[in-house]
Amino acid sequence: MTVDKQAPGSGSIMVVGGGISGLTTALEAAEVGYEVFIIEKNPYLGGRVAQLNQYFPKLCPPTCGLEINFRRIKDNPNIKVFTMAEVEKVDGAPGSYSVDVKLSPRYVNANCTCCGECAKACETEVPNDFNFGMDRIKGAYLPHEMSFPQRYVISPRIIGTEDAKKVKEACKYDAVDLDMEAKTITLSVGSVVWATGWEPYDANRIDNLGFGRYQNIVTNMMMERLAAPNGPTKGTILRPSDDKAPESIAFVQCAGSRDENHLPYCSYICCMASLKQATYVRELYPEAKIYIFYIDIRSPGQRYEKFYNMVKADENLFLIKGKVAEVSEDPDSKNITVVAENAVTGEKVHQTVDMVVLATGMQPTAANIKLPADLKYNADGFIVNDFEKGGMFGTGCAAKPFDVTSANQHATGMALKAIQTLVNK
Amino acid sequence: MTERYMVEPDVGFINEVIGLGGEDLKKCYQCATCAVACPISPDNHPFPRKEMIAASWGLKDKLVGNGDIWLCHNCGDCSTMCPRGAKPGDVLAAVRAYAIQEYAQPKKLADLFSDPKKLPVLFAIPAVLFIVVGLLFNMLGFNFLDLTPGGDQIEHAKFIHTTLVDIIMIPTFFAAIGIFALGLKRFLDDIHKDALASGKTTVDKIDPKGFVEALVRVIPDIFKHKKFSECGENTERATSHMMVFFGFLGLFIVTNIFFVVLYGFGIHGPYSQLNPVKWLANIAGVALIIGAALMIKDRMAKKDQASGYKDWFIIGLALALGVTGMLTQMTRLGGAAGPSYFIYFIHLLCIWVFFMCLPFSKFAHIIYRTVAMAYTEYTGRK
Repeated sequence: MTVDKQAPGSGSIMVVGGGISGLTTALEAAEVGYEVFIIEKNPYLGGRVAQLNQYFPKLCPPTCGLEINFRRIKDNPNIKVFTMAEVEKVDGAPGSYSVDVKLSPRYVNANCTCCGECAKACETEVPNDFNFGMDRIKGAYLPHEMSFPQRYVISPRIIGTEDAKKVKEACKYDAVDLDMEAKTITLSVGSVVWATGWEPYDANRIDNLGFGRYQNIVTNMMMERLAAPNGPTKGTILRPSDDKAPESIAFVQCAGSRDENHLPYCSYICCMASLKQATYVRELYPEAKIYIFYIDIRSPGQRYEKFYNMVKADENLFLIKGKVAEVSEDPDSKNITVVAENAVTGEKVHQTVDMVVLATGMQPTAANIKLPADLKYNADGFIVNDFEKGGMFGTGCAAKPFDVTSANQHATGMALKAIQTLVNK
Repeated sequence: MTERYMVEPDVGFINEVIGLGGEDLKKCYQCATCAVACPISPDNHPFPRKEMIAASWGLKDKLVGNGDIWLCHNCGDCSTMCPRGAKPGDVLAAVRAYAIQEYAQPKKLADLFSDPKKLPVLFAIPAVLFIVVGLLFNMLGFNFLDLTPGGDQIEHAKFIHTTLVDIIMIPTFFAAIGIFALGLKRFLDDIHKDALASGKTTVDKIDPKGFVEALVRVIPDIFKHKKFSECGENTERATSHMMVFFGFLGLFIVTNIFFVVLYGFGIHGPYSQLNPVKWLANIAGVALIIGAALMIKDRMAKKDQASGYKDWFIIGLALALGVTGMLTQMTRLGGAAGPSYFIYFIHLLCIWVFFMCLPFSKFAHIIYRTVAMAYTEYTGRK
């Protein structure tokens, strides 16, 4: 590497959040020569994308994009990944920040080979957050098959129990270290990119849509897990109350979105997500009736419009213009009846289905827990970038609701902004 | 609806609806939550989503003669659930206020009841009427108006003779009925035409007998405030409305008994406090006052519901009727002659204004809502 090809400026970049946006920012900056720290609070990278069954509109699995990114990270000595890590404090100014990062104990060290003996030995089961609590996993677990780093985790819930001892004994590689403790490290960086992502809007708060009251009402992210081969139903999409294959399914668009009582904005992806999920259902159940209740279908751009037209051509799929405002459950069959006014015909529709999917929107993580840094937010909790000030930037769904493609474009741009901070300091 | 429909937006109409309390109507984005949120909206062409788009497009002809605006009881369930804060409940109330002005003739009079600046004029009319007509009769030798009534007992008839009251009130009352009758024919034709055009009914002609039967069927629901009680929000409104409703009904019955007894049997008031008719009058009066006061309290507390002059006018008048009536009686029993005669005079002015405003003010809902409900019952809409 000759001198004139070296990256201009010096210093490191911290990327908070190891989802698709954070990975992109980290890789784009690292691959032009900057040192990058990825701070991820989960024990694995990949974020929300890792939980998906397929991307739209190509309908390829998330391994598609994540795998190559993980490969690039492995091959790049400029990137240091911290999982189970959270930023506690940021001091300093653009060009020289001092960041305190808290590392929670994983209780498993780098010796882990993912043999799975620890999980077999462990008797305790804990709710599986990766599957939104729809199933349970062992207290010693691999978050999912594609977890990166490929290493087991021991739930703090079993620490100090008999199970913990059994888990330790079961490990042939001396990978279980029950004495690990939380620690805080301080990192010096020139720029911080916040790619803290989003949470699915809490559907329990949408009183009139019955989530949490009726078993067969799930959210769109739960639907991704139900459809995913590594999900709670091994990708067969069975309804929660009785594991029956659904013969009919309703999608409720704008569930808690574009609604001043909930999220006032459009989350951009939910229409496409429901159309995509309709293809999951169709693939498994050729005869199932699919009803999509919407205010207006938002399939922006030529590629998404094409996808919409493709899905719409299905003659067992019905698009009804009218938002669902009422749901009820038949206590015996656990079927759900949704009520909406079809604004085209002017008739109220009472549609009884086996299962309902609420197309809930994205809420920025920072809406509920403010980030420990001097950042500007809009009223909904999205980070508003201050390019004049520079130094710290929000990207991905921490900045606005994005699909994966646009999130990556934005994240690439923010890699450049972070680099500029280092160069200009 | 394959027929072509020429959209004729009326911008002036949009602004009037906005001015009458529907100020957020333009926020509507037609999600149709309101039509489902409404517990009393039918399945066949439910309201108020379609009314919201008609209002924001200025389609006056789809609203003024639309019976559905009267089926709404303005409970506010739709406004609470509205994701945009467009307040469909307030918009429909504004459209109703507009429709009342459209059907009441002569239109010039309508201003008297919708403009707060004209309130003094409104009350001056009966005051002048009583004094002028009274003095005219006095000149003809009748003693209809005695500004210095003496005697041991306070008798309001000595001050303003019952006959004088009736000479003024009865024609006023029937004038109001007449105005209603003229507007009502047009109203019923319009809502029928609208229902046919929009597919709400397939019943071709209105058969008067069937219509009256339908009317008889809805009366018990109205008395029980059945629709009112189905509302989720503002359930307390059913109580206050019921008090005012039965207050007026009771006082109307008392007035009629009084009239029949006076002219039929020559017995004039004031009745003994032990007389059952007096009991009814007092119970009704108290219900009217408490009901109206509760309405004021509820409206003051409800910041999310629009309250305009059209609302305050009728609630204020209802309260004034009750309070002046009750005070007239109390001052009479207390022997305060001067105040009693004065308050009685104010009470008479309120009654005259009440009769006169029936077809022009929000009180007109008594007729229009009843007719719209009967029509819906008649056509068997589900």
